Amino acid sequence: MVTVTLRNIVKARNGFRLKIDELIVENGEFLTLLGPSGCGKTTTLRMIAGFERPDRGEILFDGRPVNDLPPYERNIGIVFQDYALFPHMTVFKNVAFGLEMKGLPKSEIERKVRWALEIVGLTGLENRYPEQLSGGQQQRVALARALVVEPEVLLLDEPLSNLDAKIRERLRGEIRRIQRELGITTIYVTHDQEEAMAISDRIAVMNVGRVEQVGKPLELYYRPETEFVARFLGLSNILELEAENGRACLNELCFDVGRSGRVRIFFRPESVYIMKGDTAEVLDYELLPGRIRLKLGIGDRVILAERFLDELPFSVEEMPERVDVRVRSFSVLGQ
Amino acid sequence: MKLGRGYLILTVPLAFLVIFFYVPLVSIIKTGLWEDGFTLRYIASVIQNDYHRRVILFTIAQALGSTLLTVALGLPGAYLFAKYDFPGKRVIRAVLTVPFVMPSVMVALGYILLFGKSGIVTDLIGRDPGILYSWKGILLAHAFYNFPIVIRMVSSLWQRVNPHYEEAALSLGARGFSLFWRVTLPLISPAIFASAMLTFVFSFLSFSIPLIIGGYRYATIEVDIFTAIMTLLDFKTGSALAIIQILLSMAFMYAYLRSLDAYARREEQRVFRKPIPFRRGDWLSLRGLATALYSLIVFIFIVSPLLAVIYDSLRFNGHWSLEWYRRIFSTEYNPMFGLTTLDAIRNSLLFGLATVVLSITVALPIAYALHRWDFRGKRLFDILAMLPLASSPITLGLGYIKTFHGTPLYYTAWIIVAAHTVIAYPFVLRAVSTGLKKIKPNIFEAALSLGAREWKAFLRVELPLVLGSLVVGAIFAFAMSIAELGATYMLAKPEYTTMSVAIYKFLGARQFGSASALSVLLMAVSTAGFLIIERIGEEVW
Ligand SMILES: Nc1ncnc2c1ncn2[C@@H]1O[C@H](COP(=O)(O)OP(=O)(O)OP(=O)(O)O)[C@@H](O)[C@H]1O
Ligand SMILES: [Mg+2]
Repeated sequence: MVTVTLRNIVKARNGFRLKIDELIVENGEFLTLLGPSGCGKTTTLRMIAGFERPDRGEILFDGRPVNDLPPYERNIGIVFQDYALFPHMTVFKNVAFGLEMKGLPKSEIERKVRWALEIVGLTGLENRYPEQLSGGQQQRVALARALVVEPEVLLLDEPLSNLDAKIRERLRGEIRRIQRELGITTIYVTHDQEEAMAISDRIAVMNVGRVEQVGKPLELYYRPETEFVARFLGLSNILELEAENGRACLNELCFDVGRSGRVRIFFRPESVYIMKGDTAEVLDYELLPGRIRLKLGIGDRVILAERFLDELPFSVEEMPERVDVRVRSFSVLGQ
Repeated sequence: MKLGRGYLILTVPLAFLVIFFYVPLVSIIKTGLWEDGFTLRYIASVIQNDYHRRVILFTIAQALGSTLLTVALGLPGAYLFAKYDFPGKRVIRAVLTVPFVMPSVMVALGYILLFGKSGIVTDLIGRDPGILYSWKGILLAHAFYNFPIVIRMVSSLWQRVNPHYEEAALSLGARGFSLFWRVTLPLISPAIFASAMLTFVFSFLSFSIPLIIGGYRYATIEVDIFTAIMTLLDFKTGSALAIIQILLSMAFMYAYLRSLDAYARREEQRVFRKPIPFRRGDWLSLRGLATALYSLIVFIFIVSPLLAVIYDSLRFNGHWSLEWYRRIFSTEYNPMFGLTTLDAIRNSLLFGLATVVLSITVALPIAYALHRWDFRGKRLFDILAMLPLASSPITLGLGYIKTFHGTPLYYTAWIIVAAHTVIAYPFVLRAVSTGLKKIKPNIFEAALSLGAREWKAFLRVELPLVLGSLVVGAIFAFAMSIAELGATYMLAKPEYTTMSVAIYKFLGARQFGSASALSVLLMAVSTAGFLIIERIGEEVW
């Protein structure tokens, strides 16, 4: 397995410009590229695969530059959104393809194909053609085909986005399990933040051609550095306040920010705790399964709070007009 | 992608095209435009000459007329095929493929047997219907060949018209004719236009049909060139005519290719609606009667020349007999050419198969280059590779005579195969290129990521996926070679007489019985060739 490094990458094409100063995917790590449509995730992945060349900068596998290597010499495995199974080959032939390209003997090929199909749970379907498989099964074949050549890097471009929600959740768990078992360096592309959080060691959040922040899922979730990252990963409260003597206050709700001047304070709705009191006005609320989401007015600002129902100090039927709030954890956003 | 020495695969195709298409083309241009320096004398004298001018205008007019007739005949069929499932649909569909295996000499013969002085129809109605040796026969024969194409292309697109468009229009109050005119027609027009353009080009370059059933009064440019060279030995006039023909057909061909692109884009839509099945009671409705009537007309239209030829081949001196078949296989009654019919069959088959092989050899590397590489001048290369489509067999024959006369190639079998290949290979190229375009690029990239080099990915993944298209192209090439008359007639010495040429010679000697018997054999051979190629295609897959 290898460490993948992208350094000073620039890739421009009609109007769009991708720029990545540095992105390191550690040996055996599962890194997800997360971002909205058109931000450059696929382009990044395709450069790592070797389908496209960066205009500038270097891509390194374990310190070796691979810019000049064609895809077939990079020892990668890739899984596409639409699977790209060879329609004229059976499941067995599809999975065997990469091994045949390596010129392995027949018995060896047979053994490895069995192994790969077993890993993805498809034993028994060897002789089917892709069109005779369900979407989920096709996805497993694609995964087996990519894994069987024992690639040093596994690349997956929105592999689950054509599947329905239930299967998506199950398959992502399996992808994660297999990746852990094989310890393979993996780069995964998605625009679904929940999927990214569930599956990744680290996430790189991308926004129009840039990497905004790289970090562990919870780190990004609770301590985003930019408003974009904050909002992309979930519901956010962002308050722009004037700080004096290291404290920024909205009426009685104060934050120790350790500096002065204008600051932007971020916290998640679930960091807001509710108590009996009268700091905030209950403007509205919404019931979710087992939880409640409240819209609270403090001064001229509105913040969101989200709690499990049984955490409330009162029952929903007796919702008071005003409550007290406390914010347990927050971060200060950069500009 | 890096090219490296990849360009080398283009060596054979390029050499072939240069030697067997561009050099002859240049020699025609030189003959027509050069005499102690550049001159427009011959072009001008052709245009000023009443006869030649009339020929040129007639060629365009009959192509236009053929196209209108073809579309008018094909559209109702396209509608029926797209909308309904009716009993007998499969039979009609099968019948519609008959023109494809019927060489044009055979259709011309069929028309002579039907509409000639002692023809079947003439006898039946008691007077000459005035179809033979007139423009009517030409239009009818051109429609015969092309209206199945109109039905196929238009109905294929019609089926894909999203019913929601029409439903939306219905809900907005459009119905009947206005619905068709305002909503449906614009949606299917790319198919109508593309098939009409194809018909037009086909009719514009048509040779055997006007030659045999048009007579001298209704000659096309193609026939005019042929006469100029073969009877009058006037190469200057022939070349001038050829230059005019090439210029016109290049313009038409361009329009055709453009319309085909538009059609292909529309066809990619995946909506597909199921035809409505006919119920028993439907036959008594107006729609049912119209369907029955149309099917009957199609059936008679297509089957009658075929039946006429078969019938004639089996009638000898007013009774049923295999005498004509006996005669074509015996040398004594066979003064037309120095060999036996078996030799002609063998020649046709060999030329056909060689043409298939050579066409693929030329077309495949070009298709690969156009598909895989981006290079400067790619568009120009594409056009230059497709240009043979705008040339005609007679022009090619003329160019070959000018170019190869006196070289060891002249009068060989190779030169005939080369001519057939130039005529046929664009169809193989087109078929393969279209097939390659339909493959998602991901498939190729997946192969690369699994360690396949570009050419291996092509051979193992992309080529198998376009095998169907390749087989279709090969069948086309085979059919064109087998049916080809003009170039073969001009270039073949007696030993290389093909079945088509032999039939034409029998016709010239007014030995209709022998011509019929040989035509039936030709059709059998061509059908067999078809089935074989299709079979091979399936097995390789
Ligand atoms: N082949 C191409 N030619 C030109 N521009 C392209 C091409 N492919 C993508 N782009 C542009 O590059 C930008 C980044 O595209 P990319 O496919 O990398 O986005 P993405 O993050 O993968 O988006 P998505 O989530 O929609 O797949 C987009 O603005 C897109 O329009
Ligand atoms: Mg993408």
